[in-house]
Amino acid sequence: MGAFIDARTVSSGTVIEADLAIIGGGPAGISMAMALAGTSLRVVLLESGGMNFDAKTQALYEGSNAGAPYLTLEASRLRFLGGSSNHWGGWCRPLDALDFEERGWLPHSGWPISKKDVDRYFVKAHSLCEAGMLLYDRAADYTQEMGPLLQLGRGGVTTRFFQFSKMRDSVLPTHFGERYAADLKKLPHLSVYLQANVMRLGLDSGGRKISEIDVTTLTGKKFKVKPKAAVLATGAIECARLMLVSNDIHPAGVGNSHDLVGRFFADHPTPRDTATLIVFDGKLAPFYGAPQTVNGAIVRAGLFPSEAFRRSNAVMASSITVENKLDLDALGKAAVTETARALGVDASDAAAFSLGCGMEITPDPDRRFTLDDARDALGMPKIKLHMKIADADFDRFRQTLKELGRQLLESRTGMLKLNPRTRAEWLDVLDWGNHHMGTTRMSTDPRKGVVDVNLKVHDVANLYVAGSSVFPTYGAANPTVNLLALALRLADHLKGVLK
Amino acid sequence: MKLSRRQTLYVGGGALALAGAGAGGRFLLRKRYAPSPYDDLLVLLNNRDAAAQIGETVLAEVDNFDPKATADHLRTRIAGRPLSAVLTEDTSKGRLVEASGWVLPESLGLICALAAKAAA
Repeated sequence: MGAFIDARTVSSGTVIEADLAIIGGGPAGISMAMALAGTSLRVVLLESGGMNFDAKTQALYEGSNAGAPYLTLEASRLRFLGGSSNHWGGWCRPLDALDFEERGWLPHSGWPISKKDVDRYFVKAHSLCEAGMLLYDRAADYTQEMGPLLQLGRGGVTTRFFQFSKMRDSVLPTHFGERYAADLKKLPHLSVYLQANVMRLGLDSGGRKISEIDVTTLTGKKFKVKPKAAVLATGAIECARLMLVSNDIHPAGVGNSHDLVGRFFADHPTPRDTATLIVFDGKLAPFYGAPQTVNGAIVRAGLFPSEAFRRSNAVMASSITVENKLDLDALGKAAVTETARALGVDASDAAAFSLGCGMEITPDPDRRFTLDDARDALGMPKIKLHMKIADADFDRFRQTLKELGRQLLESRTGMLKLNPRTRAEWLDVLDWGNHHMGTTRMSTDPRKGVVDVNLKVHDVANLYVAGSSVFPTYGAANPTVNLLALALRLADHLKGVLK
Repeated sequence: MKLSRRQTLYVGGGALALAGAGAGGRFLLRKRYAPSPYDDLLVLLNNRDAAAQIGETVLAEVDNFDPKATADHLRTRIAGRPLSAVLTEDTSKGRLVEASGWVLPESLGLICALAAKAAA
């Protein structure tokens, strides 16, 4: 029988032996533990928090930012079982095949695997998210009764669909800890340690293998786990932090011989009111503005750059969402009336909508985490972010918006106003998706990535990373279902390696 | 009630006089614009004042705007076709201008800019 053990009850000095230690009880760690259920592997899952939010544990996430405006580091993630799924919005969408490709115009792009390598894990990943029938772009087959897709002239932007984690009685998406705790407890070879803070990944004397993991509780208990292999599933920020602080053998930290750990950090900027969409006849199907239930799935339409447009115009995957209705000012009314009349269209019922965005940003090695001199309550160095966002990222997204505007005019269905233009204007409306990615990026080349195609840390024989920290580029899709697919693939790999 | 021939003439004449006065009034009250070299283009607009307002923001985006050259270019482009057809061609060819963020077909934006020049 699997067990949930409060690490504060473990005697100091205890040594726990395991085949696999999974560090982090978020969606990736929980999903991997469940995926290994059918094996005889003795798995230990180490979770820093408990079953619920605790302010003292959460404070261990505190850090600083010396760069562009960003979220406070302790507020953009959650440190208890279920991790950041405890506050996610439930948005799901697999990355596109193009997201995996190397693009000549996009420095540092190209995954060492293709989408085909992870495709077969999406059904299970999607199921773990409780996101219903796997429809995505096939949702258009079922939304016709609610209204037509927004008619656009031929071009670079098309309607595609997000799906959502099942919204249950609480009207919240799946919280992995709460949802799967009972399932984890049923696993015979799994031990889940709560309140167990990993302080150090201990390399053997040769520096090539994890031999022990130091665990501490906020009450002062200290014990070790000695696994045959370990998986870091702590999210992109904490993953980098743990590798950097474990610097007793290699001064640069674990897996950091090429100074890549913590670099290439990314999130999806979600600037508000990026543009104003006008629909001349005032009719816009409800699935654009809010999630709708169709055929056992909760779906919402977005406007996405096509693969051809992304290639030909060198733009990122950044997608557009329709938000709230707006009133127009005098100039706006004049622009709509004049344009519609000139196009020979009646706009007497025209409606205006604010457009939001899920923006993909350029990989940048200087957008990075390093260790701070300040320490947390356990004595571990805090993390320091140097956040950056390039003007080119705003400009590229503006290109996609302008293309949407062009297509609306061509189809005579509407028009568009582009809102932020200068960097200051963009920063003024900027928000973030809380999608931490990139700090242990994947590459076949140890000089370009921290983990290999099997998500094993290049320098270390038995250390793996599960989570969106391995994404070399980020797409515009929400990361959870994608990182789960990769984690399930890693679980399959470990079944072979550890048997 | 049956009207006599004289009454019919009075009523009909009165109605004609009222209609004439209304039409004349509209003509007399119609907003008059000073003649401009681009009137043949400005007549394509729905509302010259509103267009001029848009045109001001187009002019803010264009360096060294040359009204005469622009008008000549537009006349060649339009070549007697309906404006809607020209605007559709603009958008399909990616000929766009921005007016305070509003994405407009280039020809419409430029005619608006001429309206702004004419109103100046």
